[in-house]
Amino acid sequence: MYYMTKKLIQVKNISKQFPGVLANDKVSLDIEKGEIHAIVGENGAGKSTLMNIIYGLYEPTEGEIFFEGEPVEINSPLDAINLGIGMVHQHFMLLPSFTVAENIVLGTEPRKNRIFMDFKEAVSRTEELSKTYGLKVDPYRKVESLSVGIQQRIEILKVLYKGADILILDEPTAVLTPQEAEDLFNVIRKLVKDLGKTIIIITHKLQEVLAISDRVSVMRHGKMIGTLETKDADEQILAEMMVGREVLFEKLHKEKIPKEKVLSVKGIKARDNRDLIALDQVSFSLNAGEILGIAGVEGNGQSELVEVLTGLRKMEEGTFTVKGIEVFNKSPREIRDLGIAHVPEDRLATGLSSEATIWENMLMGIQHTEPYAIKGIHMNKKKIMERSDRLIEEFDIRTPTGDLPAGNLSGGNMQKMVIAREFSFNTPILIIAQPTRGVDVGAIEFIHSQIIEKRNKGAAILLVSADLDEIFRLSDRIITLYEGKITGEFLNGEISKKDIGLYMTGKHMDLAGRGASNE
Amino acid sequence: MNSKLFKKDLEYIVSLVLSISASLLIGALIMMANGRSPAVGYGALLKGAFGSKYNMANTFAKTVPLVLTGLATAISFRSGIFNIGGEGQLYLGAFAAAYVGITFTTLPKGIGIILAIIAGALVGGLYAFVPGLLKVKYKIDEVITTIMLNTVAVFFTSYLVNYPFATTRGKLNGTEIIADQFHLSRLIRLSTLNTSIFFMGFIALLIYYLMEKTSTGYDFKLVGQNSLFARFGGINDRRQMIIAMVLSGALCGLAGVFEVLGVHYRFLQNISPGYAWDGMLVALIVKNNPIGVIIMSIFFGALKTGSISMENATSIPSELVLVIQSIIILFIAGEAGFKEKFKEWNAGRKVKQKAGERNA
Repeated sequence: MYYMTKKLIQVKNISKQFPGVLANDKVSLDIEKGEIHAIVGENGAGKSTLMNIIYGLYEPTEGEIFFEGEPVEINSPLDAINLGIGMVHQHFMLLPSFTVAENIVLGTEPRKNRIFMDFKEAVSRTEELSKTYGLKVDPYRKVESLSVGIQQRIEILKVLYKGADILILDEPTAVLTPQEAEDLFNVIRKLVKDLGKTIIIITHKLQEVLAISDRVSVMRHGKMIGTLETKDADEQILAEMMVGREVLFEKLHKEKIPKEKVLSVKGIKARDNRDLIALDQVSFSLNAGEILGIAGVEGNGQSELVEVLTGLRKMEEGTFTVKGIEVFNKSPREIRDLGIAHVPEDRLATGLSSEATIWENMLMGIQHTEPYAIKGIHMNKKKIMERSDRLIEEFDIRTPTGDLPAGNLSGGNMQKMVIAREFSFNTPILIIAQPTRGVDVGAIEFIHSQIIEKRNKGAAILLVSADLDEIFRLSDRIITLYEGKITGEFLNGEISKKDIGLYMTGKHMDLAGRGASNE
Repeated sequence: MNSKLFKKDLEYIVSLVLSISASLLIGALIMMANGRSPAVGYGALLKGAFGSKYNMANTFAKTVPLVLTGLATAISFRSGIFNIGGEGQLYLGAFAAAYVGITFTTLPKGIGIILAIIAGALVGGLYAFVPGLLKVKYKIDEVITTIMLNTVAVFFTSYLVNYPFATTRGKLNGTEIIADQFHLSRLIRLSTLNTSIFFMGFIALLIYYLMEKTSTGYDFKLVGQNSLFARFGGINDRRQMIIAMVLSGALCGLAGVFEVLGVHYRFLQNISPGYAWDGMLVALIVKNNPIGVIIMSIFFGALKTGSISMENATSIPSELVLVIQSIIILFIAGEAGFKEKFKEWNAGRKVKQKAGERNA
């Protein structure tokens, strides 16, 4: 047992049963002191469940956890923190209207006379912490005014303040720009090398795993597939372990299609839900047979742009024309009739009804048209089911029958259902937002190939994605959006991922003038 | 190929039957606690509800307003807009029918009745249109406005029948009797069962067809499930909600019309003992399923009719039935929770079994 000292956490044969799902099935894992350990797997593979067990949020159905060789029971996050285990969640748990210092000391506030919070002490502790770990923050700033990258930094400081030696980071780069992600990696490396911390990082981005981790463990369907040294791994090997079969990252074949302008957007201005200006003088055009990618950090107007173009949000100024017909604040029905189909960014909120059956979801948009509605009134169940079954097969939606509620499908299959429906309308224009968010690797491949096929058949596609890899993989042209304005426009291949990050964050305003040509 | 769907429906029917049985059991315990025999009590109830032609007729007479208000609730709740104002719409619809019946006394029989029906439905629908519009245009909570409008309607009609439209013959808190040709024929001697049950059957069939078989029914349902998705798919969700509200109000108005034309022959100050509320319970229990509304209405009608006979025969208070009704609701409300617990327990047991097998 000479190696026991090196193994910080050992998880042995952990199972976790949820009603109907075995989320973890006899999972074993060991974490060594001072390593960066990546956990990868598709959505629903059981990564988060495992981490929540280690962090004391879930109680395992069976199995044991050892800490420094001793068996321990972690029944609550408090137990975890006492062992020095801290977790940074994917969704930040910060109070936006509080200052940085207040957020960091929250829960263990320094007090004056036992009653009043000692704000000065909180600030000085924050400053000290910030200096020790080399993570620069301004203790007086309110959290709501800070960028996502900085907010994440505060989350990490919060965990360190509580004395964590082991940090679990759940999908930390999901919301970051490439620059912010790079910063985060530097912080992680520093924490490990200079300060002797141990990091567990959950992710599904394979490039990041290769870039930062020492070892990587792969999970699939609740089982631990294996752990390997990162230096022995590559993207292909990891993807195969994740999916359980060979995954082809082949180059997508793109055909040349003659250019014909089908959508042109002129000077659109619109407000967001808080009534702040979300889009300002946005103009661009979209041609048949091309994919125009919109790159941007989330919350810079992409969602609003899609909503305006599909009739779900009113615009204040501007207009757009679809095949020469001018549109200003028309209803979603009218816009659909002009030939725009829409795959929304949030499928659960906008793209489907989880209570309704799959066939009912497939019917949306054509429920009043022949032959699915006889004389526009009586639902023709036979024709409806035929179409639904055909789409289920064509789009490889994994379900025993189309009669099940859509809520029973996995994320990837739900997305395939939404895409199947919207693609089946055969519209000349497709607006696709976040097509592969929360979708597993196998389905991503499929969805990408479907999008390219649509393009090759001559559809004009507007693609909005927070995933830069996706934008680069699919787009012919790329537009960057920052604070509601277009900051750049490029042909794919003209610009590197790194440079485009600068346009996405508005940091190269001097270059932006050159990029935002008016065509 | 429908096996899964059937499984879900079956699950619900099982829990419904369990809930009803459990409530009846609790009712039996209450009877026993008061020193009475449940067998005798329930026997009297059953006999009172279905024991004779007359009793059965009374049960079905009670079903008419329940089905109409139940369907009214089903259609509005399914569309995601909550009409709690059925009682008010019923009162106004009833008054409108009575007004037609005492004003247009020269109309021939068929036309008069149809006019009264249309008037009642229209008034009920319009009264529901207002909160529907307020909800959709100004986001004013329809639950609050419809509840408040109940009181307005009840007191307004109360004023009307006590002052401008009060009957001159005696102090009855009611209008004059409607003209003879407006009376719906009674079907069984001494019972209030009348031809309105045929109207009700026809309307129920229509609403069932609308809700379950048409594209418009699909629109209602999808708006109720996820209005954003409906809007995204090109349905005018706001208009759909208003239509559902108006239809719901019209159905409640009709329930009132039939009380006037078929039962009382005049508008009375307290014409409804809370039919719309009972209808709402019915719809809630069967999760807004139109067929379920009909079946459950008969059950509720039987409970109501039977409870009176039970009280007469065994001196068990008829209020016991209200207790039973409420307990059914409680169980149904807890259904999801119970099911979850049961599944969890079952899953836990399976894992333990598995682990046991491996150890052995």
